[in-house]
Amino acid sequence: MFSALADPTRRRIVERLSERGESRVTALAKPFRISLPAISRHLKVLEDARLIKRQRHGREHLIRPHPAGVQAAQKWMAHYVAGWESGFDALDELLKGDLSKERKR
Amino acid sequence: MKSEVKISDNRLQITRVFDAPRVRVFAAWKERDLLQSWTGCKDTTKVEIEMDFRVGGSFTQKMLIKGAGECLIKGQYDEIIEPEKIAYHVDMGPISTRVVVEFVEQGSQTKVILTQDGLPDETLRKIVSQGTTEALDKLDEMLVRQAA
Repeated sequence: MFSALADPTRRRIVERLSERGESRVTALAKPFRISLPAISRHLKVLEDARLIKRQRHGREHLIRPHPAGVQAAQKWMAHYVAGWESGFDALDELLKGDLSKERKR
Repeated sequence: MKSEVKISDNRLQITRVFDAPRVRVFAAWKERDLLQSWTGCKDTTKVEIEMDFRVGGSFTQKMLIKGAGECLIKGQYDEIIEPEKIAYHVDMGPISTRVVVEFVEQGSQTKVILTQDGLPDETLRKIVSQGTTEALDKLDEMLVRQAA
Protein backbone atom coordinates (compact mmCIF):
# COMPACT_ATOMS: atom_id res chain seq x y z
CA MET A 1 0.00 0.00 0.00
CA PHE A 2 2.80 2.38 0.84
CA SER A 3 4.66 1.48 -2.29
CA ALA A 4 1.45 2.15 -4.21
CA LEU A 5 1.34 5.62 -2.66
CA ALA A 6 5.07 6.18 -2.95
CA ASP A 7 4.78 7.42 -6.52
CA PRO A 8 3.88 11.14 -6.71
CA THR A 9 1.65 10.67 -9.76
CA ARG A 10 -0.33 7.97 -7.98
CA ARG A 11 -0.66 10.13 -4.89
CA ARG A 12 -2.02 12.94 -7.05
CA ILE A 13 -4.43 10.56 -8.74
CA VAL A 14 -5.75 9.48 -5.32
CA GLU A 15 -5.97 13.09 -4.16
CA ARG A 16 -7.77 14.18 -7.33
CA LEU A 17 -10.12 11.26 -7.02
CA SER A 18 -10.99 12.07 -3.42
CA GLU A 19 -11.84 15.64 -4.49
CA ARG A 20 -13.88 14.65 -7.54
CA GLY A 21 -15.44 11.42 -6.40
CA GLU A 22 -16.26 9.02 -9.22
CA SER A 23 -14.44 9.90 -12.43
CA ARG A 24 -13.89 8.63 -15.93
CA VAL A 25 -10.36 7.50 -16.66
CA THR A 26 -10.02 10.10 -19.42
CA ALA A 27 -11.15 12.94 -17.13
CA LEU A 28 -8.85 11.72 -14.40
CA ALA A 29 -5.88 11.60 -16.76
CA LYS A 30 -6.37 15.13 -18.10
CA PRO A 31 -4.05 17.17 -15.81
CA PHE A 32 -1.23 14.65 -16.06
CA ARG A 33 1.20 14.99 -18.91
CA ILE A 34 1.48 11.29 -19.45
CA SER A 35 -0.13 8.87 -21.86
CA LEU A 36 -3.38 7.06 -21.19
CA PRO A 37 -1.66 3.65 -21.05
CA ALA A 38 0.72 5.06 -18.42
CA ILE A 39 -2.25 6.29 -16.38
CA SER A 40 -3.84 2.87 -16.76
CA ARG A 41 -0.73 1.25 -15.30
CA HIS A 42 -0.86 3.57 -12.30
CA LEU A 43 -4.56 2.81 -11.85
CA LYS A 44 -3.84 -0.90 -11.92
CA VAL A 45 -1.32 -0.52 -9.07
CA LEU A 46 -3.81 1.53 -7.06
CA GLU A 47 -6.54 -0.99 -7.76
CA ASP A 48 -4.34 -3.90 -6.61
CA ALA A 49 -3.56 -2.01 -3.42
CA ARG A 50 -7.32 -1.56 -2.91
CA LEU A 51 -7.00 2.20 -2.89
CA ILE A 52 -9.41 2.65 -5.79
CA LYS A 53 -12.35 0.79 -7.27
CA ARG A 54 -12.99 0.38 -10.97
CA GLN A 55 -16.34 -0.16 -12.63
CA ARG A 56 -16.74 -0.98 -16.26
CA HIS A 57 -19.63 0.40 -18.30
CA GLY A 58 -18.97 -0.93 -21.77
CA ARG A 59 -15.84 0.80 -23.00
CA GLU A 60 -16.00 3.41 -20.27
CA HIS A 61 -14.15 2.79 -17.03
CA LEU A 62 -15.33 4.63 -13.94
CA ILE A 63 -12.90 5.04 -11.07
CA ARG A 64 -13.89 5.61 -7.47
CA PRO A 65 -11.78 5.91 -4.35
CA HIS A 66 -11.84 2.82 -2.14
CA PRO A 67 -12.67 4.53 1.16
CA ALA A 68 -11.67 1.71 3.47
CA GLY A 69 -8.27 1.32 1.87
CA VAL A 70 -7.38 5.00 1.71
CA GLN A 71 -8.59 5.70 5.24
CA ALA A 72 -6.84 2.69 6.69
CA ALA A 73 -3.55 3.67 5.07
CA GLN A 74 -3.82 7.27 6.18
CA LYS A 75 -4.98 6.37 9.67
CA TRP A 76 -2.27 3.82 10.18
CA MET A 77 0.46 6.10 8.93
CA ALA A 78 -0.80 9.04 10.99
CA HIS A 79 -0.91 6.88 14.12
CA TYR A 80 2.47 5.46 13.46
CA VAL A 81 4.14 8.81 12.91
CA ALA A 82 2.24 10.25 15.91
CA GLY A 83 3.69 7.47 18.06
CA TRP A 84 7.24 8.49 17.22
CA GLU A 85 6.32 12.14 17.51
CA SER A 86 4.94 11.78 21.03
CA GLY A 87 8.05 9.84 22.06
CA PHE A 88 10.19 12.59 20.57
CA ASP A 89 8.21 15.23 22.49
CA ALA A 90 9.02 13.37 25.69
CA LEU A 91 12.67 13.13 24.66
CA ASP A 92 12.67 16.84 23.97
CA GLU A 93 11.40 17.52 27.49
CA LEU A 94 13.92 15.12 28.94
CA LEU A 95 16.79 16.87 27.18
CA LYS A 96 15.58 20.29 28.30
CA GLY A 97 15.40 19.00 31.88
CA ASP A 98 18.96 17.73 31.74
CA LEU A 99 20.13 21.06 30.48
CA SER A 100 18.40 23.13 33.20
CA LYS A 101 19.82 20.83 35.88
CA GLU A 102 23.26 21.44 34.51
CA ARG A 103 22.77 25.19 34.48
CA LYS A 104 21.75 25.16 38.13
CA ARG A 105 24.98 23.46 39.12
CA MET B 1 4.10 18.39 13.72
CA LYS B 2 7.59 19.28 14.86
CA SER B 3 9.27 16.63 12.79
CA GLU B 4 9.75 16.43 9.08
CA VAL B 5 8.19 13.26 7.73
CA LYS B 6 9.00 11.65 4.40
CA ILE B 7 7.37 8.54 3.06
CA SER B 8 8.83 6.88 0.02
CA ASP B 9 8.36 3.39 -1.26
CA ASN B 10 8.71 1.04 1.69
CA ARG B 11 10.45 3.60 3.84
CA LEU B 12 9.54 6.12 6.45
CA GLN B 13 11.90 8.91 7.42
CA ILE B 14 11.35 11.20 10.39
CA THR B 15 13.74 14.09 10.99
CA ARG B 16 13.74 16.16 14.14
CA VAL B 17 16.14 18.70 15.63
CA PHE B 18 16.73 18.51 19.37
CA ASP B 19 18.08 21.44 21.32
CA ALA B 20 20.87 19.48 22.97
CA PRO B 21 24.41 18.38 22.10
CA ARG B 22 24.84 15.14 20.23
CA VAL B 23 26.38 13.16 23.09
CA ARG B 24 23.36 13.90 25.23
CA VAL B 25 20.84 12.94 22.56
CA PHE B 26 22.74 9.74 21.84
CA ALA B 27 22.75 8.92 25.56
CA ALA B 28 18.95 9.07 25.55
CA TRP B 29 19.01 6.03 23.23
CA LYS B 30 21.97 4.31 24.86
CA GLU B 31 21.17 4.54 28.57
CA ARG B 32 18.34 2.25 29.60
CA ASP B 33 16.90 4.54 32.28
CA LEU B 34 16.82 7.49 29.91
CA LEU B 35 15.35 5.49 27.04
CA GLN B 36 12.71 4.09 29.33
CA SER B 37 11.63 7.57 30.35
CA TRP B 38 10.69 8.77 26.87
CA THR B 39 9.85 5.66 24.84
CA GLY B 40 6.23 4.99 23.95
CA CYS B 41 3.31 7.12 22.92
CA LYS B 42 0.90 9.09 25.07
CA ASP B 43 -1.21 6.01 25.87
CA THR B 44 1.77 4.08 27.22
CA THR B 45 1.48 3.86 31.00
CA LYS B 46 4.51 1.74 31.82
CA VAL B 47 7.68 0.77 29.98
CA GLU B 48 10.17 -1.87 31.00
CA ILE B 49 13.25 -2.18 28.87
CA GLU B 50 15.98 -4.75 28.90
CA MET B 51 18.82 -4.06 26.55
CA ASP B 52 22.31 -5.18 25.72
CA PHE B 53 23.62 -2.13 23.93
CA ARG B 54 26.26 -3.58 21.64
CA VAL B 55 26.33 -4.88 18.06
CA GLY B 56 24.45 -8.19 18.05
CA GLY B 57 22.94 -7.40 21.44
CA SER B 58 19.22 -7.90 21.97
CA PHE B 59 16.59 -5.74 23.54
CA THR B 60 13.05 -6.20 24.74
CA GLN B 61 10.52 -3.54 25.56
CA LYS B 62 7.53 -4.45 27.62
CA MET B 63 4.86 -1.78 27.52
CA LEU B 64 1.55 -1.30 29.17
CA ILE B 65 -0.81 0.55 26.91
CA LYS B 66 -4.06 2.11 27.98
CA GLY B 67 -6.88 0.16 26.39
CA ALA B 68 -4.60 -2.31 24.63
CA GLY B 69 -2.92 -4.21 27.46
CA GLU B 70 0.62 -5.45 27.40
CA CYS B 71 2.80 -5.38 24.36
CA LEU B 72 6.22 -6.96 23.96
CA ILE B 73 8.72 -5.82 21.36
CA LYS B 74 11.91 -7.73 20.63
CA GLY B 75 14.81 -6.58 18.56
CA GLN B 76 18.53 -6.65 18.01
CA TYR B 77 21.20 -4.01 17.45
CA ASP B 78 22.87 -4.32 14.06
CA GLU B 79 25.26 -1.39 14.12
CA ILE B 80 26.40 1.12 16.70
CA ILE B 81 28.72 4.01 15.93
CA GLU B 82 28.86 6.21 19.00
CA PRO B 83 27.66 8.96 18.93
CA GLU B 84 26.66 9.00 15.25
CA LYS B 85 24.46 6.07 14.41
CA ILE B 86 22.39 3.21 15.77
CA ALA B 87 20.84 0.55 13.53
CA TYR B 88 18.54 -2.16 14.80
CA HIS B 89 15.78 -4.43 13.65
CA VAL B 90 12.54 -5.42 15.29
CA ASP B 91 10.77 -8.71 14.69
CA MET B 92 7.05 -8.95 15.13
CA GLY B 93 5.89 -12.33 13.96
CA PRO B 94 6.02 -12.29 10.18
CA ILE B 95 7.16 -8.69 10.05
CA SER B 96 10.71 -7.53 10.38
CA THR B 97 11.42 -3.85 10.22
CA ARG B 98 14.80 -2.19 10.19
CA VAL B 99 15.45 1.16 11.82
CA VAL B 100 18.48 3.40 11.37
CA VAL B 101 18.90 6.39 13.68
CA GLU B 102 21.49 8.98 12.71
CA PHE B 103 22.66 11.78 14.97
CA VAL B 104 23.98 14.85 13.14
CA GLU B 105 25.67 17.73 14.96
CA GLN B 106 24.26 21.17 14.14
CA GLY B 107 26.12 23.65 16.33
CA SER B 108 24.73 23.18 19.82
CA GLN B 109 21.77 21.23 18.43
CA THR B 110 21.40 17.70 17.14
CA LYS B 111 19.44 16.53 14.14
CA VAL B 112 18.05 13.02 14.49
CA ILE B 113 17.21 11.23 11.25
CA LEU B 114 15.19 8.10 11.82
CA THR B 115 14.77 5.88 8.79
CA GLN B 116 12.55 2.84 8.94
CA ASP B 117 12.56 0.24 6.20
CA GLY B 118 10.47 -2.83 5.64
CA LEU B 119 7.18 -1.32 6.61
CA PRO B 120 4.69 -4.11 6.43
CA ASP B 121 3.14 -3.06 3.15
CA GLU B 122 2.01 -6.52 2.15
CA THR B 123 0.71 -7.49 5.58
CA LEU B 124 -1.16 -4.24 5.87
CA ARG B 125 -2.69 -4.70 2.45
CA LYS B 126 -3.91 -8.17 3.38
CA ILE B 127 -5.43 -6.97 6.63
CA VAL B 128 -7.18 -4.10 4.92
CA SER B 129 -8.50 -6.33 2.16
CA GLN B 130 -10.01 -8.59 4.80
CA GLY B 131 -11.56 -5.56 6.40
CA THR B 132 -10.40 -6.54 9.85
CA THR B 133 -9.74 -3.14 11.28
CA GLU B 134 -9.35 -4.68 14.72
CA ALA B 135 -6.24 -6.51 13.62
CA LEU B 136 -5.03 -3.36 11.96
CA ASP B 137 -5.41 -1.47 15.22
CA LYS B 138 -3.50 -4.20 16.98
CA LEU B 139 -0.67 -3.99 14.47
CA ASP B 140 -0.82 -0.26 14.84
CA GLU B 141 -0.49 -0.55 18.62
CA MET B 142 2.49 -2.83 18.21
CA LEU B 143 4.31 -0.72 15.69
CA VAL B 144 3.67 2.66 17.23
CA ARG B 145 5.38 1.62 20.38
CA GLN B 146 8.69 0.51 19.06
CA ALA B 147 11.43 2.95 19.74
CA ALA B 148 14.78 1.83 20.99
